[in-house]
Amino acid sequence: MLKKMLLAGFAASAIALPAAAQDAYTIGLTGALTGPPASTYAPAVDALRIYIDKVNAAGGVNGHKINLILEDDGAQPSKAAANAKKLISQDNVMLLLVASLSSTYAPAIAESKNANVPLLFAAVCPQSVYPPAEPLQFCTTGFASHYDSQATLDFVKSTAKGPVKMGFSAMAIPLSRGEIDYAEELSKKVGMTPVDKEVIPPATADYTPFATKLKDADPNWVFSWAPWVTQVRTLEAMRKLGWQGDYIAWGHLEAESELKRLNDSKFYTINSNAMFQDGLPIQKQIEEAAKAAKSKYPADTMAEGWIAGMVIEAALKSAGWPGSPEKLQAAMENLNVDLKGLRGGPIVWTKDNHFRTHLYYRVYHWDGSKIARVQDWKAYEVK
Amino acid sequence: MQLITNIVVLASIYSLIACGYVLIYRVSRALNLAHGELMMLGAYLLLATASLFSGSAVLAIVAAVALSATTGVLVYVLLMRKMTGEMVLAAILTTVALGILVRGVLVLIWSSQQQYPAQALHVGNPTLAIGSAHVSAWSLVLVLLNAAVYGGLFIFLRYGRWGIRMRAAGQNALLAAQRGINLHRVYALAWALSTFTGAAAGMLIALDSGVTMSMPVIALKAFPAALVGGLDSLAGALLGGLIVASAEVLLIYYVDPLLSDVVPFVVLIAMLIVRPWGLFGTREELDRV
Repeated sequence: MLKKMLLAGFAASAIALPAAAQDAYTIGLTGALTGPPASTYAPAVDALRIYIDKVNAAGGVNGHKINLILEDDGAQPSKAAANAKKLISQDNVMLLLVASLSSTYAPAIAESKNANVPLLFAAVCPQSVYPPAEPLQFCTTGFASHYDSQATLDFVKSTAKGPVKMGFSAMAIPLSRGEIDYAEELSKKVGMTPVDKEVIPPATADYTPFATKLKDADPNWVFSWAPWVTQVRTLEAMRKLGWQGDYIAWGHLEAESELKRLNDSKFYTINSNAMFQDGLPIQKQIEEAAKAAKSKYPADTMAEGWIAGMVIEAALKSAGWPGSPEKLQAAMENLNVDLKGLRGGPIVWTKDNHFRTHLYYRVYHWDGSKIARVQDWKAYEVK
Repeated sequence: MQLITNIVVLASIYSLIACGYVLIYRVSRALNLAHGELMMLGAYLLLATASLFSGSAVLAIVAAVALSATTGVLVYVLLMRKMTGEMVLAAILTTVALGILVRGVLVLIWSSQQQYPAQALHVGNPTLAIGSAHVSAWSLVLVLLNAAVYGGLFIFLRYGRWGIRMRAAGQNALLAAQRGINLHRVYALAWALSTFTGAAAGMLIALDSGVTMSMPVIALKAFPAALVGGLDSLAGALLGGLIVASAEVLLIYYVDPLLSDVVPFVVLIAMLIVRPWGLFGTREELDRV
C-alpha cells in the first residue's frame, strides 16, 4: 500500500512540475555571479531576481508567473557556452540573458542564433544592438561603447582649462580594449594628445607597475573604461605615485559608494544611471525591495538589474500569453519603457534599434563632503 | 628607482605566496592547489575580525593570522590526513576540490563585491617616499614581512627542533617516523605555516588595495616563481619571485603591459627547458613531481 502511495506521489509530482513550468514564462540568464569581475555583474543579477520575484508576487505578467533560471558562468566563455546550451535546449527558455564579461558573448550569441531565441545583454551592450541591429540581440545596459567615449571626451574638453594630454586605462578583455582603442583615436580627432594606454590583465597583484608607466607619460587627464576594479585600482596606484591630474571613469554600480571612500575631488564618474542620492520614488522602491529580500548587495548597485526587469516585464506583457521566442522578439522590436528617472530618458526599441534612440549622461564627483553633479543629463542621439 | 621599488614589492608578493607552496611540497610532496583560495580566505578572515575588533586593528590582524594558521591545521587534520598513503595525485585533486569549496563559501558569506579591510579597520595607507620612489605603507609592510618570514624560516628549519623534524620528514618520511618523529604533527605544522604565509600575503594585499574574488589568480602567478626557484627550495622561491617580478615589471614598462599576464609562465617554460628542477631544486624531486 505504502509503495503504491509513493509511486502515485512520484507520478503526480512528475506531472505537476513540468505543468507548473509550462504555466510560466521561462527565461534564463548566464552571468558572472562569481569570478574576478562578479562585483560588477552579480548585484545586477540579484536586482533582476528581486524584481522578477516582485512581479510574481503581484500575480505575474498576463496572469502568468516568470520563471527566471540563473546559471553562473564565472566570467568564463566555456561555462557561458554550456549554460546557454542548457538554458535553450533543456530549459526551453524564450529569452536568454547574458550578464558577464564580453568574452562570454560569442558562445551565447551562437546558441541564440541556432535556436532563434532572443538574447538580452544585461551587462555590456555590444555594437550589434546599435542600428541596424542584429534581429535577435537586445540590450538594456547603461554602458554604450563609442558613445561613452564620445560623452567622456566631450566632458573633458569642456572642463579642461588647457591642452589635454590624455592617458588611457583598460582591462585586457575585448570590449574594454576595443573601447579604449576607439577613445584613443577619437581623442586625436578632438584635439587632445594621447600619451599612453595601459591594458591591464583582469587579475593583477600590484597596479603600481602599470601606473608608473602611465604617470611617466605625464598625462593631465586619464580615462578608464573597464570593470570597476581596474578603473579604481589604476587611479589609486597613480595617486600613490604622486600623480595629481584628473581621472574620469565609467560610473559602474559601485560608483556611488566608492566616490565617498576615495574622497578625491579630481576623480569623476560618467554615468547613465541616476545615483541613489537623488532619492527618486523608484529608488526608494528598490531600496525597500532589496531590504525585504535581504540582498547582500547595496540598493545603490541595483539600478541596472531593475531596469532589465522593467524591460522584460514590459516585453512579456506585450508578447501576450502563451509566450514564444518569436512573439517575444516581435514585442521587443516595438517597445517603449519609461524608466521613471533611473536614466535620463526611456528605453525605446524599434525594428532596427535594439539599444535605445537616445543616450543620456551625467557626471559626478566627490566635492569633499558629498557626491555632486558636475554635469546634468546630456543627450546623445543614437544613429 | 621607482622601477626597482616596483620589482621589490612584486617580488615580495610572489615570494611570500610561493613560500607556502614550497613548505607543503617540501615536507609532504603534495602540491597545494588551494593555496590561492586559502590566501583569499585570510583576507576575508581579516574582514571578519575587523568587524569583531573594529576598535583595535592590531587585535584584528593578530586574530586573523591565528585563525588562518588554525585553518591550515584543520585542513590537514580533517582533509589531507585522510590522503596519507594514497596517490599524490589524489592529494592534489583534493586540494583542487578544497579550493572550489572555499571560493563557493566565501561568495555565499561575503558576496562577490570588492571589500576593503583597511576601511573596516579604520586604518589608512599613506604613501612613503624612498628617494625618488613612492611605496604605500602596506606594500612596505609586505616587503618587511617577507624578509622576516624567510629569515625566520631559515632559523627555524636550521636550528629549531620542529624545523629539523620537518626537514627530516621531507628527506625520508619512513626513516623519520622510525626515529619517533610524529609525522602528522609535522605535516599539520607545515600546513599551518603555509596557510599563515599565504594568508598574510592575502591580508596585506587586501589592506593595500582591497580584496576581490580574483585573488587566487595572483597565487597562480606566484606558482611559477616557486617552480623557477625549485619546488623544494625556500631560497629558490625567494629568487624565483625576484626573477619573475623583474621580468614582469620591466616588460610592462619597456615593452607591452599586456605581457604581464604571460611573463611568469614564459619564464617558467624557459626554466623547464634549461633546468627542469629549478634553480635550487634537487634533481631527484623532478621524478617525484
